[in-house]
Amino acid sequence: MNMYETIITEPFLKFYEKLLLFLPSFLIAIFILIAGIVFGFLLKNLFSRLFKAIGLDKVSERSGVLELMKKGGMEYSLSVLSARLIGWLTVIIFAGISMSALKIPAVEKLLERFLLYLPNIFVAGLIILLGYLLGNFFGRAALIAAVNSGVRFSKFLSRVVKYTIFILSLTMALEQLGIGKETVIIAFTIIFGGIVLALAISFGLGGRDLAKDYLEKKIKCEEKRDDISHL
Amino acid sequence: MANMQSIIFREDVQARIDEIEQADILVGIPSYNNARTIGHVVKAVQAGFAKYFPDRKCVLVNSDGGSTDGTMDIVQNTTVEDYQSVLLSHRVSPFFKLTTPYHGIPGKGSAFRTIFEIADALNVKGCAVVDSDLRSITPEWVELLLKPVIQSDFDYVAPLYSRHKYDGTITNSIVYPLTRALYGKRIRQPIGGDFGFSGRLAKFYLTKNVWETDVARFGIDIWMTTTAIANNFRVCQSFLGAKIHDPKDPGSDLSAMLYQVVSATFDLMSIYPDVWKNVKATETVPAFGFQYAVGLEPVSVNLEKMLERFSLGVRELKDIWKDFLPQEILAFLDKAEGMKKEEFNIPEEVWVEIIYCFALAAHKKIMDREHLLKSLTPLYIGRTASFVIETWNSNAQEVEEKIERLCRVFEENKNILLNKWD
Repeated sequence: MNMYETIITEPFLKFYEKLLLFLPSFLIAIFILIAGIVFGFLLKNLFSRLFKAIGLDKVSERSGVLELMKKGGMEYSLSVLSARLIGWLTVIIFAGISMSALKIPAVEKLLERFLLYLPNIFVAGLIILLGYLLGNFFGRAALIAAVNSGVRFSKFLSRVVKYTIFILSLTMALEQLGIGKETVIIAFTIIFGGIVLALAISFGLGGRDLAKDYLEKKIKCEEKRDDISHL
Repeated sequence: MANMQSIIFREDVQARIDEIEQADILVGIPSYNNARTIGHVVKAVQAGFAKYFPDRKCVLVNSDGGSTDGTMDIVQNTTVEDYQSVLLSHRVSPFFKLTTPYHGIPGKGSAFRTIFEIADALNVKGCAVVDSDLRSITPEWVELLLKPVIQSDFDYVAPLYSRHKYDGTITNSIVYPLTRALYGKRIRQPIGGDFGFSGRLAKFYLTKNVWETDVARFGIDIWMTTTAIANNFRVCQSFLGAKIHDPKDPGSDLSAMLYQVVSATFDLMSIYPDVWKNVKATETVPAFGFQYAVGLEPVSVNLEKMLERFSLGVRELKDIWKDFLPQEILAFLDKAEGMKKEEFNIPEEVWVEIIYCFALAAHKKIMDREHLLKSLTPLYIGRTASFVIETWNSNAQEVEEKIERLCRVFEENKNILLNKWD
């Protein structure tokens, strides 16, 4: 065996052999991926029609979910959103299968870890979405209740409620993802406790005169009565 | 429609019903911590039975929401001892008294449901309900609420009262004009609280599955009235005189009260669109009782506080309203928010459009119903303040003319609803 064969031809032949061995797997992987995309597209259309036929949008409208989604900035109806989710899940699953068809140990390991982690991402996303929607809902409820009670800083109160719920959901999502578990909870506790303490102190000191005036008015009945009977 | 499942009576109530077997007339009194006033109401009803229905078998039912001030004991122990004081000397048929706590959602509607159930069980001919906080009820109320049913074959008797010009502002600014424009019957006190109705109508009420909704609370009055009109029951009114009642608990939440009444009214619009869409004109309904003017206790009003609440509402809730109120209304509210007391005014036309837009928004489920209707509170307070300013020096007749004008504006603008409902 001369030097040329050792240095050039032999590695090339080995590479060629490996390529011949890998190519069927690669083609199968490409095929699975394309099939997954087509299947995902078909499923998306199928479920979109099915959800519309069974009246999912009407149910979401009646239950207030649609309103929550709209207020949360979501442009799609529940049937379209659910069908799209199913379509994308199908594509992701097929992509996973196609990658494992390549039979590359490193990719297989990575994929396994990714697939095991995937539910956490999904749940975390869901928690954040729910937190956002609930934050908007309860923020508005707090705003209306505060206005109807004559609270001057109603908007501030509403924002406190809204962002507290959102931050709480963010904390829960990060915990679900396993990112700085204890750190996040401790940080949240410190921030939340700090806000409450700051509010208590500021209201305590700043509202002293206000509270005094209010109590004086109530005790001395200085405030003009309102006897209107509404019903 | 199938009969809803009957509520379960307590054993002692069932035993009492078995003992009474059947009755001609039943008067129901819903109560919750009304120890101060209920004794007077019970006496008036008992005297009314004796004076106007001496030959009928009469039952008084107290449906209580769990009072802790001894309301039920007072009902049990109160009786008219001196019948001569009500100019009565003839024979009186036996009179039965029944007190029971009601089941279901705490509220006036649930109390009424128990009364309807007992009326149904006793197969009564005529039935009436009166509030337990009344201070002006007389034995004549029993006659006026029940005789049209017993003698003239009416199914529903709505009350007519002399009320202070600032008493019943939800009735005057929303419920009366809206109900009249929608269903075409000029029933002046559709949520008066004291009604007479036939046993047939009580049975009909029980066929409706509404006892988990706002009807179980303050929505019951408008529901009873509208259900009777929309289902072609014979409706009339009786003049009862002055309505003077204990002041409401100052802690009672106006926005919750407004929400329950308006929500029930809007719900009924969705139930009976085929009825109200076809109503083109309004008509008076037969009225009983001798009408007279009454001197009423003054009502103090805190206008500054009302205007403050209105301004705060406009500033903070405008973003919520812009999803369904027209631009010109929003611009008007912006302008009104900065007005001084002397020039503050919300015209009838603006108010009517606001109410119709809220009704459409509720029908189209633009947002959570409770949020939507509770956000109406500052606007309602603003309209009430405007009404108070306009009528400060007006007498009862002038005020009534003002309300009549509001009703006409509701009728003339009904197209806003008709054009956008479907």
